Amino acid sequence: MSDHASTDYPANWGGGVSPLKVSYGKLFMWFFLISDALTFSAFLSAYGFMRHKFAGYWPEPSKVFHHFPFVTKELPLAYVGLMTFILIMSSVTMVLAVEAGHRKDKKSVMIWMLLTIVGGFAFVGSQAWEWFHFITGTEQGAWKDVIIDGKLVHKIVHGANLTFNEYGNSLFGAFFFFITGFHGFHVFSGVLINITIFIMVARGVMEKRGHYEMVEKVGLYWHFVDLVWVFVFTFFYLL
Amino acid sequence: MEFHDDFPQYEFRDQHGEAEGKIQRKRLWRVFWYMLGITIFELALGSYAASKGFNKTALICIFISLTIVKAYFIVYSFMHLGHEVKSMKWIIIGPYTTFILYLVFMATVTEGNYSAIHKVSPPDKSYAKPTEAETKKAEAEENEEPAPSTTTKSAEGAKHE
Repeated sequence: MSDHASTDYPANWGGGVSPLKVSYGKLFMWFFLISDALTFSAFLSAYGFMRHKFAGYWPEPSKVFHHFPFVTKELPLAYVGLMTFILIMSSVTMVLAVEAGHRKDKKSVMIWMLLTIVGGFAFVGSQAWEWFHFITGTEQGAWKDVIIDGKLVHKIVHGANLTFNEYGNSLFGAFFFFITGFHGFHVFSGVLINITIFIMVARGVMEKRGHYEMVEKVGLYWHFVDLVWVFVFTFFYLL
Repeated sequence: MEFHDDFPQYEFRDQHGEAEGKIQRKRLWRVFWYMLGITIFELALGSYAASKGFNKTALICIFISLTIVKAYFIVYSFMHLGHEVKSMKWIIIGPYTTFILYLVFMATVTEGNYSAIHKVSPPDKSYAKPTEAETKKAEAEENEEPAPSTTTKSAEGAKHE
């Protein structure tokens, strides 16, 4: 562990030292996360442009997303609050797994990672329920102009999909499905990666290496997923 | 095949014992309570402001600043960027912040002209089933709307020639 300046020590020219004091894997995970963050920023700013262009037609999220599973009462934004809590909770369990890895405590790492995986699945399932409810729509429906068999028809439609949207401008549906779908895909792939690393930990691969850095790298990805959700949640549901 | 890790010395540097671990866990749970508190406040404000008429600009500022606070907690505390060396922190934060600032500049100054847009899109009444009179009135209004913009377009076209 070299604390003096990296350029003074002659042996550094042979490699094996990082001036940023971080390993390849972690550094490039950070770089990947920045590129992914830029992608999501582009999507969200496109959403912002469209939302302000159609400010009069845009549905109000607290009026659209006011359903809660197994509850008939209208609770605006309650379900998305639950989803956010689930994801933040899984982020906390992930960082606790990383901390347990720093203590080389294999059993704790496995427990915390298992909880993270469960949280991830819970989030994806909740998002699926939210999509289902958005697509099904309300009982009363709304009058919209839709194209059926090549003809423009004025009829009551229910729910939202890529051709019509009961709640307002059809772009809202397109953006909602695309951005939350993209994010949900990241969550799902994150869960699969977490399962892979969990199996690696269980088989003792990390113990053999002597460090749990893989858990930390995967933890970075999982926290990034949570970070993106914080922004998506703000832009879609609050603003 | 043997797996040879690169720079394992940095991971060994991060390893700690039970005592240090307890302190770190306490900090992490504290950050969790901050996040929970901010999220609950945001949700309450969101559903409350939807019913009353709040100043939209103030709402946007509050929500975005709270989101940035949450992002700071996640990146600094959960992703352990706070534990890295200064140059590493700047490598991550610097380019991204520069880009985001430019994006906001683009969105608000160059592309965002709010007043003109609000004039064009009237409020959407199709959420509830409209009465026959309202449907007829809405159709009449829609037929009227394109007229002003076409006249300005042709006036501009004449100017260019």
